[in-house]
Amino acid sequence: MSVIVYGRLRSQKRKNITMNIITFVAVVMFAILALFPIWWIFRTSLMSNAEIYRYPPSLIPENWLFSNYEKTLEIFKFWKYLWNTMLIIVPSCLAGTFTASICGYAFARLRFRGKNFIWALCVGSMLLPAMVTLIPLYIGWTRGLGFNDSYWPLILPYFCGGGAFNIFLIRQFIMSIPRELDQAATIDGAGYFRILFSIIMPAIRPAMIVVALFIFIGLWNDLLQQMIYINSSDKYTIALGLTNFRGQLKSDWSLTMAATCLSFAPGVIFYLIGQRYFVEGITLTGLKN
Amino acid sequence: METINKPQKRRSRIYSSEARVAYICLIPAFLGLFLLTYLPLLGVLGISLTNWTGLKSPEFVGFDNYIKIFTTDPYIKDSIFATIYFAILSVVGSMIYSLFIAMLLNRKIPARGFFRAVFYVPYVLPSVAIYVGWSWLYEGNFGFFNYLLSEMGLKKILFIADSSYVVPSLSLISVWLAGNLIVIFLAGLQNVPSVYHEAAEMDGANGWQRFRHITLPCMTPIIFYNLLLSLIANLQVVTPALALTNGGPGNSTRFLTYLMYDQAFVNYKIGYASATTVIIFAILAVFAVVLFKTSNLWIYNEGGDDK
Repeated sequence: MSVIVYGRLRSQKRKNITMNIITFVAVVMFAILALFPIWWIFRTSLMSNAEIYRYPPSLIPENWLFSNYEKTLEIFKFWKYLWNTMLIIVPSCLAGTFTASICGYAFARLRFRGKNFIWALCVGSMLLPAMVTLIPLYIGWTRGLGFNDSYWPLILPYFCGGGAFNIFLIRQFIMSIPRELDQAATIDGAGYFRILFSIIMPAIRPAMIVVALFIFIGLWNDLLQQMIYINSSDKYTIALGLTNFRGQLKSDWSLTMAATCLSFAPGVIFYLIGQRYFVEGITLTGLKN
Repeated sequence: METINKPQKRRSRIYSSEARVAYICLIPAFLGLFLLTYLPLLGVLGISLTNWTGLKSPEFVGFDNYIKIFTTDPYIKDSIFATIYFAILSVVGSMIYSLFIAMLLNRKIPARGFFRAVFYVPYVLPSVAIYVGWSWLYEGNFGFFNYLLSEMGLKKILFIADSSYVVPSLSLISVWLAGNLIVIFLAGLQNVPSVYHEAAEMDGANGWQRFRHITLPCMTPIIFYNLLLSLIANLQVVTPALALTNGGPGNSTRFLTYLMYDQAFVNYKIGYASATTVIIFAILAVFAVVLFKTSNLWIYNEGGDDK
């Protein structure tokens, strides 16, 4: 009996090893497929236009023409666009993270009248798609407050918690912190704000980084709002600059791809820095429902 | 009497100072909910009943805009079709792709963290750059995909300049972008109790049976979350139309949000565009409600508390 079980386990184990090898090969293949478009874009950015149109196309450029990037930078004002993008992103991330944290704290820890109702309003607004409020907000910002050709309509919403989703995320995270910590501080005579700033905020740092990264990605990708609020070309962000650049240089693919790669770079760098938190944060959003 | 009253009074005082702190903390949320969410929501409903163009003061026209949209608008039908077509292809594609990749990554393989990063990377790239980059892969003569087709002896396809291919081509990009879904699925898979799998293996269940009867039921809440997330995101699709196609060829990528953008910010028919917005919102709401209503039919609650 024991021999049979042992034999079955061993064959099971061997089967597992072959399965793992097959899985690994499949993962490697899919990873190559997933990275391939990025490589193809990158290799095009280093080729001469003659080489691009050669048949059959080669996977690796003959001469690595980094001069394409110099040429691109003459027309595509990447550093200017990056600076402009940061002028929007940095204050938004800071303000959004801070306000989402204090609101999340109130919902997670404090007792007050109307809490359930306000929370319901918050959750309800999470399901409200952003494009629904676009027209009234546009009128409010431009007609009402006179923000024409300005970054403020893109930044100021983040002074209001940066959307219910971020508040939700922080609240969930605070609720997973043991209450004993604040209770101990209360006994030591700390007030609510003291608890918030010296106990809760340090403890939720990972969640705050995640919120900042989400705000970063959201602004990074939001072409529509940047298009309607920003008009003059010296205020262009990366997204606007690239859209415009493509319109100008429709057929010069190597320069267009160089501009594309330049636009990829900041995202990749931020991702490599914050990778651990990214994964943690996304996991957090998916599981704590 | 006094003895009962005293502690109660003290408690309510603590309560009120706690509440005061809470209200101070919530000022940003109040502003956001009132000024940036619910007031604009009422605003869009109100504006949709006017003929406002941004120049003259608006006149109340009742439901005229809605009637016009459903009777004479040349774009709305194509637009609804394009949006739903794109959303369904993208959602189905990215759900299958991301669950599949997550299941591969859930096995014990070397350098799992590295591969997870690889599949996630497209998600952090700016979407305009992604569409511009892919437009080169899709290029009609020298693009990579047409090279593959001609190698296989097939005719070349104008992936984004042909109205019958453009939506599937754009959907493929959005499937490729589904890295965040992979990470959420992966986290969910890691929460499936391994005792279930071990027990089933003991009973001689094969891989497919274990997937069908253990993994899938345990994952239904996460599948629901990802489904909702990607459905709402994809029904609001606008960036490829803005960055790449301008709604064309024909009206094949005149997605609803792009239609609204065009009406409001290119043609300044603000009242009319608001009515379009309300219709888009209604369509999104219908999808969300259907998803929520049917969810208890297929979402498996662990512990069986679904009665």
